[in-house]
Amino acid sequence: MALFNRWTNTVSRLSVVVLFGTPVVLISLLMLWVRTPYGTKQYREVLQPIQFDHRHHVSDEGIECRYCHTTVDKSPSAGIPSTTVCMSCHAQIWSKSPYLQMVREAYFTDRPIQWRRVHNLPDYVYFNHSIHVNKGVGCVTCHGRVDEMPAVNQVAPLTMGWCVECHRHPEPNLRPLEYITSMTWKPNGDPETVGAELAKKYNVHTRTSCTTCHR
Amino acid sequence: MSDSRFPLPVLGDEKSSASVEPEVVSAPQSEATTVPDHGYHKSYWRSLEQKLNPEKYKSLNAREFPPNYFDVPKGVDRREFIGLLGASMALAGLTACSEKPVEPILAYTKNPEHMVVGDPLHYATAWSLRGVGTGLLVTAREGRPVKVEGNPEHPVNKGSTGAYDQALTISLYDPKRGQHVRRTASATKPGDIVTASWRTLREQLVTQGAEWAKDGGEGLRFLMEPSSSPSGGDLREKVLKRFPKAKFYAHAQLNHDNAIQGAELAFGTALHPSYALEDADVVVALDADLLEPLPENLGATRGWGERRSELSKLNRVYAIESRLSITGASADQRLRLKPSEIEGFARALLAELGGSVAGLNGLSAQPGRTLSDTEQKWVKAIARDLAGKPSRSLVAVGETQPPVVHAIAYAINSALGNVGTTLQLHPVLTHEKYSSVGTWYPELKEDVDAGKVKALVITAWNPVYASPFDLDVAGLIKKVPLSIYLGSHDDETAKVATWYLPAQHTLETWGDTRAVDGTASIIQPLIRPLFDGQSEHDLLSAFLDAPEQTAYDRLRAFWSGKVGLGFDAKWETWLSTGLIDGQTVPAQRPALNARGLSQALATAPAQGSGVELAFVPDYRVFDGRFANVTWLQEMPDPITKLTWDNAAMMSPGMAKKLGVDRESVIAISVNGQTLEAPVLPVPGYADDFIALPVGYGRELFPSGLPLGGVLGNPVNGGTGFNAYALQTSAALGFVSGAQVKAAGKTYDLALTQDHWTMEGREVSFSQTLAEFKKEPAVEESRGPLPTLLAPVVYEGYQWAMGVDTNRCTGCSACVVACVAENNIPVVGKHQIHRFNREMHWMRIDRYFAGDENEPEVINQPMMCQHCEAAPCEYVCPVNATTTSDEGLNEMVYNRCIGTRYCSNNCPYKVRRFNYLHWNGEKPALEQMAMNPDVTVRARGVMEKCTYCVQRIERTRIKARTEGRPIKEGEIVTACQQACPTHAISFGTLSDQNSETLAWHKDERRYDVLHELNTRPRTAYLMRVTNPNPELA
Amino acid sequence: MADPHAATAAMDPLEPVPLIIGQYTDATLTQSLFGHVWAKPTKGWLIMFALSLMGTGILGISVVITLGWGIGTWGNTIPMGWAWGIVNFVWWVGIGHAGTLISAILFLFQQKWRTAINRFAEAMTIFAVMCAGLFPALHTGRPWFDYFLFPYPSDTLLWPQFKSPLTWDVFAVSTYFTVSLLFWYLGLIPDFAALRDASTNKARRLVYGMLSLGWRGSGRHWNDYKSAYLLLAGLATPLVLSVHTIVSFDFAVSLLPGWHTTIFPPYFVAGAVFSGFAMVVTWLVPARQFCGLKHVITLRHLENMNKIIMLTGMLVAYGYMMEHFIAWYSGNVPEWDQFYDRATGNFRAIYWTMMFCNVVLPQVYWFKKARTSIPIMFVVSILVNVGMWSERFVIFVISLHHSFLPSMFKDYVPTLVDVGLLVGTIGMFSMLMLLFLKFFPAIAVSEVKELNHELAHAHVRPEANPRQSGA
Repeated sequence: MALFNRWTNTVSRLSVVVLFGTPVVLISLLMLWVRTPYGTKQYREVLQPIQFDHRHHVSDEGIECRYCHTTVDKSPSAGIPSTTVCMSCHAQIWSKSPYLQMVREAYFTDRPIQWRRVHNLPDYVYFNHSIHVNKGVGCVTCHGRVDEMPAVNQVAPLTMGWCVECHRHPEPNLRPLEYITSMTWKPNGDPETVGAELAKKYNVHTRTSCTTCHR
Repeated sequence: MSDSRFPLPVLGDEKSSASVEPEVVSAPQSEATTVPDHGYHKSYWRSLEQKLNPEKYKSLNAREFPPNYFDVPKGVDRREFIGLLGASMALAGLTACSEKPVEPILAYTKNPEHMVVGDPLHYATAWSLRGVGTGLLVTAREGRPVKVEGNPEHPVNKGSTGAYDQALTISLYDPKRGQHVRRTASATKPGDIVTASWRTLREQLVTQGAEWAKDGGEGLRFLMEPSSSPSGGDLREKVLKRFPKAKFYAHAQLNHDNAIQGAELAFGTALHPSYALEDADVVVALDADLLEPLPENLGATRGWGERRSELSKLNRVYAIESRLSITGASADQRLRLKPSEIEGFARALLAELGGSVAGLNGLSAQPGRTLSDTEQKWVKAIARDLAGKPSRSLVAVGETQPPVVHAIAYAINSALGNVGTTLQLHPVLTHEKYSSVGTWYPELKEDVDAGKVKALVITAWNPVYASPFDLDVAGLIKKVPLSIYLGSHDDETAKVATWYLPAQHTLETWGDTRAVDGTASIIQPLIRPLFDGQSEHDLLSAFLDAPEQTAYDRLRAFWSGKVGLGFDAKWETWLSTGLIDGQTVPAQRPALNARGLSQALATAPAQGSGVELAFVPDYRVFDGRFANVTWLQEMPDPITKLTWDNAAMMSPGMAKKLGVDRESVIAISVNGQTLEAPVLPVPGYADDFIALPVGYGRELFPSGLPLGGVLGNPVNGGTGFNAYALQTSAALGFVSGAQVKAAGKTYDLALTQDHWTMEGREVSFSQTLAEFKKEPAVEESRGPLPTLLAPVVYEGYQWAMGVDTNRCTGCSACVVACVAENNIPVVGKHQIHRFNREMHWMRIDRYFAGDENEPEVINQPMMCQHCEAAPCEYVCPVNATTTSDEGLNEMVYNRCIGTRYCSNNCPYKVRRFNYLHWNGEKPALEQMAMNPDVTVRARGVMEKCTYCVQRIERTRIKARTEGRPIKEGEIVTACQQACPTHAISFGTLSDQNSETLAWHKDERRYDVLHELNTRPRTAYLMRVTNPNPELA
Repeated sequence: MADPHAATAAMDPLEPVPLIIGQYTDATLTQSLFGHVWAKPTKGWLIMFALSLMGTGILGISVVITLGWGIGTWGNTIPMGWAWGIVNFVWWVGIGHAGTLISAILFLFQQKWRTAINRFAEAMTIFAVMCAGLFPALHTGRPWFDYFLFPYPSDTLLWPQFKSPLTWDVFAVSTYFTVSLLFWYLGLIPDFAALRDASTNKARRLVYGMLSLGWRGSGRHWNDYKSAYLLLAGLATPLVLSVHTIVSFDFAVSLLPGWHTTIFPPYFVAGAVFSGFAMVVTWLVPARQFCGLKHVITLRHLENMNKIIMLTGMLVAYGYMMEHFIAWYSGNVPEWDQFYDRATGNFRAIYWTMMFCNVVLPQVYWFKKARTSIPIMFVVSILVNVGMWSERFVIFVISLHHSFLPSMFKDYVPTLVDVGLLVGTIGMFSMLMLLFLKFFPAIAVSEVKELNHELAHAHVRPEANPRQSGA
């Protein structure tokens, strides 16, 4: 009697396929995954201790970004508003609202609110807000339509590739400084040409050598 | 203004600060526990125990750290607290591919004025060593002082600093600092400790003060750290007004007494010398270490540097000294004499000059011994040189030489008209004229034995340890019923005092101090006291019959009292410039008191016999007060390149005679005391002479450092030996007649440079002026070499550095500055001694050339050369090191996988590798010293000098947002900033009038290992000496 | 069985020893060659195996320590960025070479005598390369990022640096490993089939059956087999040269005195073959004894290998000579110092060991007595590998310890972990070899049978006809 039945041929062929196929598939899946929103942690709504709604503050009240994120144009960090900033309005408006209990508590006990970080770059990346904002890269370009987000989430992949692409070819992402915080500004005409002019105007000189971001 | 410029935060009450602790410390603390909330420790584990058995690991490591080690100091304010968070962020190294948990962001509740999160704030302040002040400009990040630099506005140091100043930040965050007020139950029974609080002590002092006031403070004694603080002086007066019979003494084991007494001999008035070397064409240093970067020398050092910058300005320095000091190493000519022989030489010089120089002929000085032919030759040559340069020459004498030698020097200088030009004489600014132990001990002992003394207040640094063995200071203190010690550490003195108060660090306190020329500065705090420390002034004010004031109010009250109207406006300027105007005292031009001097000269000088010992300050721990400052301990000694220990240093000849070698232990006995010490032969030392650096051998820090270890190799320091144990009050400077014999043991010494010669290679160049004029040695070692590759054309900024080996004294301030700026880890003695794994991005190669007794010393600061054709780059398999478009050699930590190929292929061997997880060991407190602009490197990553790229980028962004090019001199690297002689320049070669470009074009320029054609961006200027041909 | 050489004792001493001693049918050959596979493991084998297992354990521990605490647990320093680990790496890769050379090059040259030993040598190659492969992976500071070395489209838009010899290494070594593995396995197929057929119990038949991939020994099978074998032999031949050439580039491409030299490629390859053959001899001598293979692995085989050892040994010696000459001739101070330091510095003992083992010792093979004496060749072959290890140490460590700036002349002392890794890899290598000897056909049975037929059909005793017998 034969040692192996006919079907074992199929098995052996299959096993060959599996043997060589599996690693290929696994690796390519992994490489895909890091590019998906799951890998880049995009579109995850991070719930904050306080239900702060950018939609309400930005579109309804029309408060400009820099009213709270004061240092965005002069410091590496955009700046998280201090509790005093919140209270500057909420001492009068909604001063009794239970939603703002934690804000008042923080203010009077003099203990900071623990916000939760949404855009978290690795610590070896030295991103600087001021230079981008001063050279015509608008808030919306990287942070998306914050004015439409009930809870802020990360819309850009924030991968190095994503950074480098813009650093190699910034023109399409430039806008006039007066519209820097605008959520709705659209270039009239070809973004390339518009951007090219702005690049000249603001002397935009993107750098791609490593120490630009890694020190 | 103070509140606005330096907002003193409202101290969050205990509850609140306690309740915020968890967030604050989570990152650092978790590093000792298992799973941190954030920080790169997430992705790595330091040991199997940590990974597999957290609890066991914790217990294993618990031992490494003192109790409540990781506690964050109570009463942190929000700024530190954000700071700590910043530290943990900065620490959170390289977590590219690990799932990061959501990080908390803690914003201020009330934003401090001037505070822009992410941008540094600079505060002008000052500190004082032995009562001599230095102006500082301290950088604070989110409330943490992280970097100390010199205040450019300060007239004396003009921005430069020494290594001690650079290490102030790490000494602030020293986990072994005294943290709690402590009292022993009774003076007679030390040991049974009762913790107490400053409050109880103050109340006790107030109540007892009333008692003491009755008899005018008969029983009150104060043993103070030398101080020139104006407000401190005012306090003393107030105390004395209340207690007229109280007595103030000062104590410093290394002091200026001899120089001051010398002035009294020569001029009849007590004066304190300082030197203006920029005007000195001829300098004679008699056992004087003029270039040691102490506060009083920084001015002189800069002046000396100016004179070495151009061949046309070249001065001539003679060093007649016993040990090889950095001054001797930088001198044009050296003569080695035993310390006791210096006086004879000085007298001979005086006699020789007496012939030619008017004003000295009255003085008859007998050398007291017959000078050797060489000495006579030297005396004649020097005398001729000096006489030829009236008012542009200088004779300087070392602190350890007896007063009469100083007096002789004063006489020569005043006769040559140097007083007021090269020699600046200022009245003594410290409140107590003298501070050596002999000036207070006998008197105090008498009173104590007589039972007169009821209370003794000690703010002098650790007199029990830092005092000669023949005086029983500890016993003295024990006899006093109430003894209060205010000190930085819970040290030897604290152990015997009835009360121990932790002293506030100079960066924690309000105060004022004065520099040598009287320039006064405000000392302002950069951070709230980390522990419940008090300042000397707080303690003194407790003796006043007045309500308690904060240090801040007290200081303002004092100065407004002095200024009167318009004080507030002035106060603001003082704080912002760091200078109080109108406080400088004019240099004096006293007449020579010939009679007094000739009387002093009448007594024949003491003759040394046998082996002589000198007790010299250590370049790293000074008198021992910096013993637990890790950055200084790991800084290689400028001359010997020794780290973590001190050694008995002697001439190679003497070592041969004793039949000992490096690392073999000898037993030194003198005055019936015996001390065992490891030998370190050093070229250029006098024979029959041993130099013993003081400040080591502290039982207090057995393991040197509180840091943990890896594989049982604790990151710790050698303990060294205590040289004070051989010192007698009679001979503080040097003593003769010592017996030396080999002890038949050996002791490991961790040196960072084993080979002391250039092995006949052309690595660093040195010539005499004459030789250089005839034929410069560096012609071959610069300029383009033929290459097959088309050279890269650089546009825009081209960062480059220049290093002038003719100005470099080797003082190593730059090394520590680099450590502070770039978060360079400390690795400890074992790793250096066993593996040469020191992490310094910048080292100073020191080569000896010529005769081992009269060696020529060349210092060559060596850091990444930023080659345009860098050998490290093409061998890296992952592109982790590349050349930027501006010619920087970039090192990308997060891309580095650690093949170490770059280091192998680096001809300069300036790359450093994180063989172990150095930073994983860092306690929370030390993490606060981290510079958030520089990545903290993880295990297995290569690193090296970056030309302080973080400073370049910050400046670039500032300039570009303002729409202007970067200005010349706008970017200053850490090493360049610290250098007291300006031996380092940095700038862009694209700017035609940049200093660096000028250096690159200089006639003395050369490239190290030029023949390899690596085209380094760092150019060196060769050393050109100016010896006296007569002595050649 | 009795020593088959006894039979040849009567022969004319001028005639070479035959390649197969005695007369065999396929059946008897199969039976004699597989004998040891069926037999119960002997006590000797078990003891050896236990020892090698211990060695492997040491390897495990050393690896865990290295990964857990970091490269800091090795003796490496600045400037000795590479030391013991890389020495082991290059040494092991070298040892691998013999296999490929024997199986590929000698095959192309129609060397009959290779048939008995090629399988054995190939196995050695694979195990040696496995040991070698450990080190580059371990010796990086952050092994978990080693994948940066491979060119893959990353989301950082970064690629490896193809200018770096280390990147070339990655390809060279992995290709080498793959081809050797295929080559080895291809050769094994018919023998697995034979094992399958000769197996007595079902389990074995199943296992060997699967391994033999349904080999039925039909003419078509043989035809495809032959052409595939020839093809792989052709493929493997350049690899023999390329791998160590590229490994030598790691050093030749740098600018370090003692590394920066153009003769490294040939010199490294020669060294590799040298050490490889030595290792084969070291293993063959006991193997033929204990597996009863003396009738197919005759003194003639061993003698031929000893000749090659002598030849390559002299090539290596020539390499040394040129190195020293060029260093002197260049007049370059660091170069000159480097070689002076090797002979006189702290590591001179290792230098002179190298000189003795690699230059002096092989000269004994000028004498037939030495070439055919089992004890001598056993000792020499071991010493040759000691010598080759020392050579790597001399080249890598001493060059780094004495480079350009005198301020950075530093000393090197290995740690226990370093030693553990060397001992451990030797342990693992031995373990794999022992398993191979026990459970795999250590001799290319089919080829030997073929040879047997050829010899039989030649009608004359093959050794009378040098053209056919080769060597």
